Amino acid sequence: MLEIKGLEKVYPNGHHALKNVSFSVPQGEFLVVIGLSGSGKSTMLRCINRLHDPTGGKVDFNNVDTTKLKGAALRKIRSEIGMIFQHFNLIPRKTVMENVLSGNLSRTGIVASIFGIHSDETKALARKYIEIVGLKGKERNRADNLSGGQQQRVAIARALMQNPKILLADEPVASLDPATSHSVMQYLKKVNEELGVTVICNLHFLSLVRQYAHRVVALKGGKLIYDGKPLEINEEWFKTIYGEEAVEVTIN
Amino acid sequence: MKQNVYRVPNKSIQNIKAITLDVLAWAYMALVSYKIIYEKIIIDERYPEFSWNQPLYSLYAGIVIAALLFFSKLSLGRGMFGLIKYDENESPTSQAFAYIGYLLILLTFIAGFYVSQISLKEFLSESGLEGAKRIFKALFNPNWSIFEEGLFAAIETIYMAFIATAVAIPIAFVLGFFAARNLMNENALAFTFYNLLRAFLNISRSIEPLVWAIIFSVWVGIGPFSGMLALCIHSIASLTKQYSEQIESIDDGPIEAITATGAHPIQVVWFGVVPQIVLPYLSYTIYRWDINVRMATIIGLVGGGGIGNLLMQYQGQARWNEVGMLVILIAAIVWTMDWASSKLREALK
Repeated sequence: MLEIKGLEKVYPNGHHALKNVSFSVPQGEFLVVIGLSGSGKSTMLRCINRLHDPTGGKVDFNNVDTTKLKGAALRKIRSEIGMIFQHFNLIPRKTVMENVLSGNLSRTGIVASIFGIHSDETKALARKYIEIVGLKGKERNRADNLSGGQQQRVAIARALMQNPKILLADEPVASLDPATSHSVMQYLKKVNEELGVTVICNLHFLSLVRQYAHRVVALKGGKLIYDGKPLEINEEWFKTIYGEEAVEVTIN
Repeated sequence: MKQNVYRVPNKSIQNIKAITLDVLAWAYMALVSYKIIYEKIIIDERYPEFSWNQPLYSLYAGIVIAALLFFSKLSLGRGMFGLIKYDENESPTSQAFAYIGYLLILLTFIAGFYVSQISLKEFLSESGLEGAKRIFKALFNPNWSIFEEGLFAAIETIYMAFIATAVAIPIAFVLGFFAARNLMNENALAFTFYNLLRAFLNISRSIEPLVWAIIFSVWVGIGPFSGMLALCIHSIASLTKQYSEQIESIDDGPIEAITATGAHPIQVVWFGVVPQIVLPYLSYTIYRWDINVRMATIIGLVGGGGIGNLLMQYQGQARWNEVGMLVILIAAIVWTMDWASSKLREALK
């Protein structure tokens, strides 16, 4: 459903972040992207939903090349791609409910959204997703007063509100403690298995990768250097991806 | 969001900046030394002649000295732009080039002392002290019979400041978004508009409200309306600048997240930007009202209405007891506004 061909990204300051990256993601897959910080993982995710504009190559999403889209067509494609972030990026000072409803903005009129007018079905849907991520009863809490793990779950509910075909997760557990990390990963797994949403997730910890990924791609210096099964990453591959000095750290 | 473009500072441009600074600094020092130190202090001329040749010759002198010292450790410009290497453990304030800076400040201090005509003799002269005593005596014996008149004028001032702030808020709110670099660098057209707006704001802010009040008192006539317009113009420019700086310092995260949901740019601003700026905006706005009340009293002096106008009238007639009453009223208002606004702003944190 997603096909990336020869993706290139050169930043205006000359940094060549992605070099000829190609791979495809079938429907329903849980794909994990690994690599050192600065290897281009975040840039690649952002090129898929055009938070960054790629400087070359194609991103075919359901046979539509997203790299050339503009205006309303771009917003339509973005609405079909959910995204969660390392720092959750919730709207500060707003309730959980308001944050989850913001996932529906692309289908709400501008004026209606500013005055907070939502149909009963939309509100019911938001409550359903809040329940799915295990935050029932917290609808009226301010989102920025919740714990890190809970905030990330609000972010997942917001992304689900878009009814996405694909969910991009940029280091979703990098600012969480180990126990909470697993809980958030479990929810992503649930979204993938029960709702059939394709997931592309950037991760640091190989132990999490082995546990949750169907397939792994690795980036190094902007190039794709590994594409395969998580359990096939042996000591040698590990050293290639993370460098000779690296030592594997696990979280359980 | 676009990534910031980082440019490595160009070394030759840094050198040009450095030599310009050196030339100007030395030319200034040469001119000050000649006009103040030599003419005024050493040969004590009462009315020294001025000709445009003097700054011109100073500039030549500046060029010569700067050229001689540019490659030594005494080049202020190269020091300031980081072109002189020195031991990292030493602080820049103890370097040779810093002493040139100290010399510059010392000369300016001496020159300022003479230009301001500071004179202890006049400060402590008998007739002068007598006059001061008379005024202070009158000020401390305020004429309470004009209390009512003063109070009404003070109320006029406070309302004038309030309306000026209230009218400025929506205009500054909208302009603030257009004056924020991080929202306007998406395309060339927007960025041009941003630069034009910034230039316009800087110009209108650099004209003091006092000058605006003079302009408007001719335009709409003497009275509170002209004062309100003057404060309003100044408030729009200042609030827009503060608002836009607040927008520039927000977290990009929520903007990214809302953009990623496929929201319209207006929705991105409303949900990604606005919730982050509401409280600082309120705080700035209250502070601006506080400032406006203080400015409104001053603006009254040039015909902007309110208590300042009254103060001007009594001062013109040398009725110091009445002036004393008004001064007490003004102090009370300013103190109350200051206290109330700081309490309010604290509560908003």
